[in-house]
Amino acid sequence: MEKLLHVEDLNIEFHDHLIPETVVYDFDLDMEPGEIVGLVGESGSGKSMSALAIAGLLSRHDMKKRGTITFNGRDILNCPRNQLRDLQGDEICIIFQEPLTSLDPVKKIGWQVEEALRIHTKLTPAERKAKALKALEDVELNDVERVYDSYPHELSGGMRQRVMIAAATIGNPMLLIADEPTTALDVTVQGQIVKLLKKINKEKNTAILFISHDLSLVSRLCDRVMVMKSGYVVESGSIKDIFENPKEEYTKKLIASIPSYDPEAGKEAEDDVILDVKDVCVSFDKKINGKNTNVKVLKNVSLKINKGEVIGLVGESGCGKSTLAKAIVGLQPIDSGSIEQHEKYPQMVFQDPYGSLNPSKKIGFILEEPLKNLTDVTEEERHKKAKEMICLVGLSEEYLERYPAELSGGQRQRVCIAQALMLGPKLLIADEPVSALDVTIQAEVLKLMQKLHEELGLSILFISHDLRVVGKMCDRVLVMKDGVIVEQGIKSDIYDDPKHEYTVSLLESAGLLKKN
Amino acid sequence: MKYVAKKVIGAIITLLVVSLLVFLAFAIIPGDPALSRLGTNATESALAAMRERMGLNKPIPVRYLLWLAGIFKGDLGTSYAYEMPVTALIADKMPITITLMIYSLILMLIISVPLGVYASYKEKTAIDRAIQIINQIIMALPPFFSGILITLVFGVGLKFFVPGGFVSIGVNPVRFFKFMFFPALAIALPKSAMILNLLYTSLNGEKKKDYVRTAYSRGNTSNAVFFGHMLKNASMPAITFIGMALADIVAGSIIIEQVFGIPGLGRILLTSIQNRDYPVVLAVIMLIALMVVVTNLAVDVIYKIVDPRIE
Repeated sequence: MEKLLHVEDLNIEFHDHLIPETVVYDFDLDMEPGEIVGLVGESGSGKSMSALAIAGLLSRHDMKKRGTITFNGRDILNCPRNQLRDLQGDEICIIFQEPLTSLDPVKKIGWQVEEALRIHTKLTPAERKAKALKALEDVELNDVERVYDSYPHELSGGMRQRVMIAAATIGNPMLLIADEPTTALDVTVQGQIVKLLKKINKEKNTAILFISHDLSLVSRLCDRVMVMKSGYVVESGSIKDIFENPKEEYTKKLIASIPSYDPEAGKEAEDDVILDVKDVCVSFDKKINGKNTNVKVLKNVSLKINKGEVIGLVGESGCGKSTLAKAIVGLQPIDSGSIEQHEKYPQMVFQDPYGSLNPSKKIGFILEEPLKNLTDVTEEERHKKAKEMICLVGLSEEYLERYPAELSGGQRQRVCIAQALMLGPKLLIADEPVSALDVTIQAEVLKLMQKLHEELGLSILFISHDLRVVGKMCDRVLVMKDGVIVEQGIKSDIYDDPKHEYTVSLLESAGLLKKN
Repeated sequence: MKYVAKKVIGAIITLLVVSLLVFLAFAIIPGDPALSRLGTNATESALAAMRERMGLNKPIPVRYLLWLAGIFKGDLGTSYAYEMPVTALIADKMPITITLMIYSLILMLIISVPLGVYASYKEKTAIDRAIQIINQIIMALPPFFSGILITLVFGVGLKFFVPGGFVSIGVNPVRFFKFMFFPALAIALPKSAMILNLLYTSLNGEKKKDYVRTAYSRGNTSNAVFFGHMLKNASMPAITFIGMALADIVAGSIIIEQVFGIPGLGRILLTSIQNRDYPVVLAVIMLIALMVVVTNLAVDVIYKIVDPRIE
């Protein structure tokens, strides 16, 4: 069969510093029409760079590309911009990671979905609209007329990504490049998007290059997978081969990093309650269709956390998990109910380590701040404590003198954890602490939390939308939907014998449902 | 629509608060307008009669309400110094100042928007750098100084207009607009430089946004990405600034009117302050406040049109 895409010896170099930096070395890839290939690696491994080069979107003046990229008989690397433009949006389309920022915020959805048609075809506006509505239907959106007339900020994350897919597939491209299309989304939505991509591939025979840091997700979609590390393709082959017989150390590490449900860890803790939440209700005034509506975010939520227990709180975004966490640490006033703390200072670790550290302060200052505000510890002791904590989370003392921008995502999350530990809390509330991190980094941070739990006897309320992560960490699991805890129990009970249908659907989209 | 109604109500409240504050300020400050009218030789009974005539012997709240009621009836009071209705006094000055304002607004946009877009389009080229350097210099000019420079270069040097040769619009409209070009330019130049800079910076910021990459991935030309996607997104900071600049222009025009010898609101404001002619001062201040509030209202509405995310 004729090759759809042929990439040989692709090298990408940046020349924006004194010493040129190569980000992709000798990248080879062949794709047949209708094939789905996975490209796996951490951020910075060069996978997105390779994909952008294939899509003809790498054209910075300080960058050099060598090798060949041939798409459908045409040379992508050396053809002029106007020929490239004919392909882009028509034969090669691309979906990006963050659907909110990847859509133009001031343009209506319909306008954006039709854009490729406006550029590449001579259809009339009415024909374009008909096609756009059809495309929105094809990505399983409801009420497409309304979506067509909406702006991106009026849609949810999952809907936005569907819109991105509709916009990318409206012209029936031969190659669809999906650059981490599900990373910013909830697990259940992730599953749906993967299903959708599979459907598009089947119905329209669109070849898909699926880029992800999540090997398990890739395994559910792709026929073939390539693993990239530091600019090199270290291993490639069929999904089965890679999973059953990984050759490279790095591939093994990636497979090991996939968080998996561990039935052994679940145990009942001693009955020594440190947090008792009873019948808590919280509501917000929210604008819905221009009307102020009182939305109940938490409805009679009760939970107990015992000393030394790790509890998982699972649910989709918007279900009220974060509101509950904020209520527990006192950042969210409650309407009714009670929250009893039996230990001082429960501390929080937030999801986004990039946004939650003040960029203008050094790490040392950030760590000492809670001590300064809440205790009368001397300066000397504060320094000592900061040193102790930074080492405890696996960083060295030099980091105290650095700024957040000088740290990687994983390191920043360690700093956030260290800060939470400064006051010696007995309870740590971790709100999606690893969702913004790569799989391998995720595994390291989880390991760290496990260690802290064991060494310090810390109780942890672990909030996540990812059942695999929760399944690895926790003793007990609470499942939350629309502000109500629909199911709770010992981990093995929940995972092996889910009672509530919502739990079943969560397990299913995480690929954890036991079929019997 | 609800949004606009809310903003209009806010604007009216603002004006009422301004009117109260301004009125109180002038009612409280020391100095007796009757005394300054009649001179220090006036007898006490003459002063009392004058105060009675000027309505100064009523309590302040009553005077305020009377004045406010007058405004709604289109009566801004009587000038102490000219003994004629304030409305008549400022009626022919207002169009001059408003023309100056609108004129400089148009110049501001004509100069800054194309150059800002062009400089960002040519980012990191020699043209871009040249624009930046000139821009930095112009930005540092205070309006009165740019006014003097323009008078020197275009008036005295190139003889494009006669310095001080103001002609009213009724006498010769062509010469009026020709003359007004230069003071408008003096006001617009430094502001244009700032708008240019803002637009340039925010356009360069937009270039790195994800949606720009998406736009390119659909086969858009660079022009289509720039004008179809980025410009609208990048215009927000510039619109904010233009709103503030308009308020500033009103104040700036007072000085510029002096530099170019234009008999506008600025001149009458200055003389009235010297004469303690409070009804005129109050009226001019309220007019300026009205212009500022109206332009801000316009900016808010434009905001809503440009950015659908604004609630």
